[in-house]
Amino acid sequence: MHRTAIAARALAAVLSASLVGLFVLPVVALFFYAGGSGLAFAAGDSGFRTALEFTLLASGMAVGLGLLTGVPLGYVLARYRFPGRAVLESVVTIPIVIPHLVVGIGLLLLFAPNSPVGRFTAALGIPIFDAVWGVVLVMLYVGASYIVLTSQLAFRSVDEEVIEAARSLGAGPGEVFATVTLPAAARGILTGALLMWARGVSEVGGFLILAYAVYPTTPWNGPVTNAASVWIYNYWGIDPTAAVGASALLVLVALAIFLAVRLLDRSGFAWARGGFFS
Amino acid sequence: MSGLELVDLRVDRGSFHLGPVRCEVSAGSATVLLGPSGAGKTTLLRAIAGFLPLVGGSVLLDGGAVDSLPVERRRFGFVPPNLGLFPQRRVRDNVRYPLALSGATDAAGKAAAWIERFGLTELADRYPHELSSGQRQRVAMARALAADPRALLWDEPLAALDVESRDVLVRMLRDLLETERLPLLLVTHDPTTAFALASRVVVLDAGTVRHDCTPETLARGPLDRFVARFLGYENLYSAHELAEAQGASLAPQLVSAAGAGGLVVPPEAIVWRSDPAGPHAARVAALRWTAAGWVVALRHGSLTFHVATPGVAPGVRIGDRVGIDLVAAELKPLIGVPANGGP
Repeated sequence: MHRTAIAARALAAVLSASLVGLFVLPVVALFFYAGGSGLAFAAGDSGFRTALEFTLLASGMAVGLGLLTGVPLGYVLARYRFPGRAVLESVVTIPIVIPHLVVGIGLLLLFAPNSPVGRFTAALGIPIFDAVWGVVLVMLYVGASYIVLTSQLAFRSVDEEVIEAARSLGAGPGEVFATVTLPAAARGILTGALLMWARGVSEVGGFLILAYAVYPTTPWNGPVTNAASVWIYNYWGIDPTAAVGASALLVLVALAIFLAVRLLDRSGFAWARGGFFS
Repeated sequence: MSGLELVDLRVDRGSFHLGPVRCEVSAGSATVLLGPSGAGKTTLLRAIAGFLPLVGGSVLLDGGAVDSLPVERRRFGFVPPNLGLFPQRRVRDNVRYPLALSGATDAAGKAAAWIERFGLTELADRYPHELSSGQRQRVAMARALAADPRALLWDEPLAALDVESRDVLVRMLRDLLETERLPLLLVTHDPTTAFALASRVVVLDAGTVRHDCTPETLARGPLDRFVARFLGYENLYSAHELAEAQGASLAPQLVSAAGAGGLVVPPEAIVWRSDPAGPHAARVAALRWTAAGWVVALRHGSLTFHVATPGVAPGVRIGDRVGIDLVAAELKPLIGVPANGGP
């Protein structure tokens, strides 16, 4: 091989390895400093366990709402041409570019308890400020774009001929969506849901403004708590060892959920692979 | 009538106007749609299937109008050019899909029967991407027939197949048409498929029906330029090209034989010999080997004639001078195609 080519490959390898190292080494450091005792402490700490439990509930609710609202929007953007579509596509990406502390301030201005919207949602039994719904709202704001964008891509990649073939085989528009379009796009939607979940769990800035402390409100009927990331942020100033142990545990839980979903994707989803009518 | 009938069907797509198209496909027979790219063949098929709105006319199935029905209730076995197989479903689930949708009893058993009929049993657990082109074509056909259609609409069903696979599928299609007594309207660019299957041929050009006849009638003529090309004629000349021919002593004879659309000089209309003596001569410009034998390109002034020679060797070399003559009775004048508001 030519010496220039060898040098170019070596340079590419070093640069790539640097980035991969940047991704991996902080996690390694986290587990190194936490150790078994740090993980055990975090797992045994009732305050962190409550925060983790709350975060899983809130993130599950947020992803559910993200799917409910983001998948239809992704479908509309993928399948229909209408005036203002390009503007709508830009709007969808706004949450990705706005600093999340600013997101929290914006949401607080809109949903503050004494604001018209805040009073309205409270009257509906959905208080936002310092409540589970505030955390859900922030997670939805910062993460739902991923579901919209990935499902838009997934729906766009479904071959129009496949849809037309299904129609001619006797499927109405709803049946085509349920039996052909949605299963074909399922993997892309799942990826978006995972990204949204990860983004929501890792959020801090928006929570600090809108829902720093979470008081019991349906559906969270546990004690006063914080989102897990806020709990770690708090303890970083008080007890760094506890914060490191909790961080390592949060990473473990996140990795376990990622792994479980990916395994489910590889082995399951019979409905998406033709077993819908089984 | 029993079968598919198009009554003055018209479709508009922007500035492209299709129709009025009037044709009949009786049960158990096939009609082939021919035409150059952009002629409106796929538009016509998709309009019949219900994917495009009609601006006029009607689609009748066994005498009843279906154009007010939604796509899913028309019961057309529609196979698009890329087949539209469900990529995430195995072969058996693709074929079972329409049966399950209709709530058929023993959907799995009926699907298995269609799969067996198309010789796909061994492949039933495979996904479409694990199949060859011919196998995928068979899956698409089995699935379309499993839906219990009243008519078949197939867009290039045998495209991209090797000759052997195509012949096998043509035989299967002929058997199916006989046993299932279904009308089949198909688009193809392949004359072999067209002549092997079709009892009628409809030629579309710029949205207008140019011919609606039997394949034999189409082949006998009168020919237009598209039909001549479709039939495989190589030596096509416009009237202008013949009139302006330079250094071609046969040109006056060709001009007088030409029609408004020009002239076809079939291989059998050219007699050539390696001895250049005589009133008309040409030079060997190229030689190529085909399955039917050698094809010799003879340059006569500014005109080139392609002629086939059945021998194992062409008997001439590039650059040789040869003598040529015409068999006037074999020349085929081309009719002109009237201009219209096509795309």
